[in-house]
Amino acid sequence: MSQDVVIRARGLTKEFLRDSFHIVALKDVDLEIRRGEYLALMGPSGSGKSTLLHLIAAMDRPTAGEIEVLGSNVASMADSEMAKWRNRHIGFVFQSFNLIPVLTALENVELPLKLTHLKRGERVQHAATALKLVGLGDRMDHYPRQLSGGQEQRVAIARAIVTDPDIILCDEPTGNLDARSANEVLELLRRLNQEFGKTIVMVTHDPHAAHFATHIRFIDKGELLPEGKKPEDWS
Amino acid sequence: MKYLPLIVKNALRNRRRTLLTTSSLAISLCLLGVMMALYYALFIGGQPAKAQARRVVVRHKVSIVFPLPLYFREKIAQVPGVEEVMLWSWFGGVYKDARDQRNFFARMAADADRLFRVYQDYVIPEEQKEAFIRDPAGCVVNKALAERHGFKVGDRILIRGDIYPFDLDLTVRGIYTSTDFDDDTLWFNWKYMENMLRNSPRLMAGGFTLLARSEQDVAAISRTIDEMFANSEAPTKTESEYTFGLSFLSFLGNIKVILMSICFAVTFTVLLITANTMAMSVRERVREVGVLRTLGFGKPAIVGLIVGESALISLLGGLLGVLVAEGLCWVVRQGPAIVQQAKTLTIEGPVFAALMGVSLAVGIFSSIVPAVSAARTSIIDALRFTD
Amino acid sequence: MILPISYNLRNLAVRRTTTLMTALGIGLTVAVLAASFALVDGLRLALEASGHPLNVLVTRKGAESELASNFERRVFDDLKFKAGIARNAAGEPLASLEVVTVINLVSVEYPEGANVSVRGVTPIGLEIRDDARLTEGRWFTPGRREATVGSSIAKRYPEARPGEKIRFGRGEWEVVGIFHSGQMARNSEILVDLNQVAADFGRESVLSSALLRATDEVAHQALINDLQADTRLNVQARSEKAYYAQQTSSGDLIRYLGTIVAVIMAVGSCFGAMNTMYAAVARRSKEIGTLRVLGFSRAAILVSFLIESLMLAALGGALGILLVLPVQGLSTGIGSMVTFSEIAFQLRITPQTMASAFLFALAMGAAGGLLPAFQASRKEILTALREG
Ligand SMILES: Nc1ncnc2c1ncn2[C@@H]1O[C@H](COP(=O)(O)OP(=O)(O)O)[C@@H](O)[C@H]1O
Ligand SMILES: [Mg+2]
Repeated sequence: MSQDVVIRARGLTKEFLRDSFHIVALKDVDLEIRRGEYLALMGPSGSGKSTLLHLIAAMDRPTAGEIEVLGSNVASMADSEMAKWRNRHIGFVFQSFNLIPVLTALENVELPLKLTHLKRGERVQHAATALKLVGLGDRMDHYPRQLSGGQEQRVAIARAIVTDPDIILCDEPTGNLDARSANEVLELLRRLNQEFGKTIVMVTHDPHAAHFATHIRFIDKGELLPEGKKPEDWS
Repeated sequence: MKYLPLIVKNALRNRRRTLLTTSSLAISLCLLGVMMALYYALFIGGQPAKAQARRVVVRHKVSIVFPLPLYFREKIAQVPGVEEVMLWSWFGGVYKDARDQRNFFARMAADADRLFRVYQDYVIPEEQKEAFIRDPAGCVVNKALAERHGFKVGDRILIRGDIYPFDLDLTVRGIYTSTDFDDDTLWFNWKYMENMLRNSPRLMAGGFTLLARSEQDVAAISRTIDEMFANSEAPTKTESEYTFGLSFLSFLGNIKVILMSICFAVTFTVLLITANTMAMSVRERVREVGVLRTLGFGKPAIVGLIVGESALISLLGGLLGVLVAEGLCWVVRQGPAIVQQAKTLTIEGPVFAALMGVSLAVGIFSSIVPAVSAARTSIIDALRFTD
Repeated sequence: MILPISYNLRNLAVRRTTTLMTALGIGLTVAVLAASFALVDGLRLALEASGHPLNVLVTRKGAESELASNFERRVFDDLKFKAGIARNAAGEPLASLEVVTVINLVSVEYPEGANVSVRGVTPIGLEIRDDARLTEGRWFTPGRREATVGSSIAKRYPEARPGEKIRFGRGEWEVVGIFHSGQMARNSEILVDLNQVAADFGRESVLSSALLRATDEVAHQALINDLQADTRLNVQARSEKAYYAQQTSSGDLIRYLGTIVAVIMAVGSCFGAMNTMYAAVARRSKEIGTLRVLGFSRAAILVSFLIESLMLAALGGALGILLVLPVQGLSTGIGSMVTFSEIAFQLRITPQTMASAFLFALAMGAAGGLLPAFQASRKEILTALREG
């Protein structure tokens, strides 16, 4: 086992039970992702991409199998431990940005730092640095509704990186953006990967977006396809 | 504390809702405040006013409607610790039209020369006092009462007798104020009664009010007097003037139960309204809870944020409520002296504390259920939640 | 085109927690109002049911109450042969000389003690009170220190139950029976022998009042006029019913208090209802847009939300009435400023109270729903579709 593997899944399975329906969202997934990798996860909708991301982020527990992230068996942690661990090690970017509407850009970015021991001054400083990094140094006091979609997503990315996590997980980060904003976001993620060495897993539908990544894997009906293989009906 | 800005911003998120909730809380809590202030003043922490603390009332044991013999006054005066005694008698009677509630005020006969020695809180110009004592048909009137009816020094006041078989034709000789509270009373010279009831068996005292040398003596004096008259023609009941005043309470109905029921209903209503607001707010924010949890906020932090917001709104409402309640107390103080406590009604420290306690409790209990259930929702479900 | 009511019903059912909480808030407010009305109505009904329509109460001129009245025995002797007074089988006029006084007894409700009326009467007096029936024991024997107490007294004052002795006047009185009268206010009195009690209080020649029974309605009024006009007697005569009715004002304070409290609470609950309705409007923004696209007018939207708010309030009103029903029949007492003693009565929730409570709830619903409904109706179709 190489030191370099930061995410390792073995026989990872996730089932949902909803109104007596039994849904298998992930089936026996084996996966290894190395430090510094930028993986694009593709697949039809409902194939289990988000579910996999959630399990990596310790936002949910698998039904069966193991998942080890940065050497921790996250599924075995208690809820409060999981929360702390997420805060420290994971940055998560949503398709719909999910900024807190009543907070300014700066305050949104500062939010995860409130869980650390940093003093207020340091928190603001870190948050400002992160915002400058995503090119929004001049929009710190703007509220989400005063920003464009692309800007909102960049604030969300700033929020994801402000704690300096090892891994950034993005769930269709460009799904709600026009082509130009999407490119800005993708450029940004690539920079984070190349300049800062962040490990990135990005779920996307868009082949153009996937080209920014170093690797591409497909999921179909809950199963992770072998490297280089696409679902049959994939265009 | 570092969450406070977020809590404040959350509270201000739906400004109209927060405003409505806070106002609703303030209105209900001001009502609760006045009711609690009354309850406190009547049944818990009410204290006699300063000068009143030394005054003791002697009356017939069976009922206030039975008179006491005049000679009791000298016997009471000899009880150790008694500084001064005066007799009084409730004249009753009818002033103008009895159907108008405002025309109902106390009309009492009393030893003119002793009145101001027993009621040391009364303030009156010396020459008016002298004039009152000199005039067998003179009376003095409390200032608030005088203002209400436009009585001035020198005015004549006619009162038709009902309990007594004669009418009063009085001249206002003085207008007094009190350093304690306005008692809405008209005092007239006992000599009037003596003159009208000469040789009548009805010339008796309604009761006696004495001034004890010190507040500590009150209990002992009361006991001594009651023992002294226990086997006389008229057994007495002696108690502090303050306690005596409370004995009229049952006349207004079961105030204790009524006040308690109102307090209960108001508190429960407030709880419902706040709980409803918080339930709505939390419901609209479930997704956001998912986001916060993703960022690493734990369940206790989520519960704290929501309960904190609710507590903030409730405490704000409570604080506003207390302010308004103090205003309402002022209004009550201006009203008629149905009970003495109404004339000095105010939000005392313990009532203030209780109100803030109720506010805080309402804040916590109204939000704890939605807060815990929001925190318990799995992150995935929270993020997928659409209302 | 009006939206169907079932649409509102379903929406209320979907948000049942909110609906229930808001309705309960309105309900509690309504309950407070209804409870204070129940008190006042109970007192009023008890007093209205008291007094015989043919009875005339005579007191000294100027006396507002029997307690404040000094009624001389010789005046009674002068008036008992007035025309229009009914007679009993033995041919005696149904005129009763009475003395009323007040004593203090410890009650279940007021441990500090409450005032109770004691009335001295003669056998004729009992004959006039033909509405009173013994429910336990017997009537007091004339010439003895015995008392027969009204049913409310026996219920509320443990000291005044058969077998017990009450102390007042010059000594003890033995309670020998309980009577009950359909004329509620009478049950709050203790009846004793006139001469015994008058002697105790030194009132052999100066008593309180006279109760007369007229032969018929015409004679009743004539008798009153006759007595009022007789300057030599110097008395005040009024129908016994009017005397009791006048005491209804004892409940005024509670009526004021109850109304003020309910109105203040109503403002609070109204804000609560407003919150709920605003949330409903916000949540259904898309729906409102869709309905407008389907061709429903602004007015239809306004009416629909207003109806929903009224339905919410109606539920609250119903809950409030349910909440207050248990107080029906509870017995309590209040001091009468006329008799200077306690009148016991039972709380009564009348149909009028229920109706006004319900209307009060609807008013809250209308006040709380109007602004949100207006806001809903003013939404532009496109913005409405985009929101929410
Ligand atoms: N919390 C959940 N409860 C029930 N079913 C779920 C839940 N999350 C996901 N699923 C189901 O699991 C499957 C995979 O979902 P997801 O991982 O979101 O797919 P993707 O992100 O690839 O579109 C879908 O069929 C989805 O309906
Ligand atoms: Mg997905």
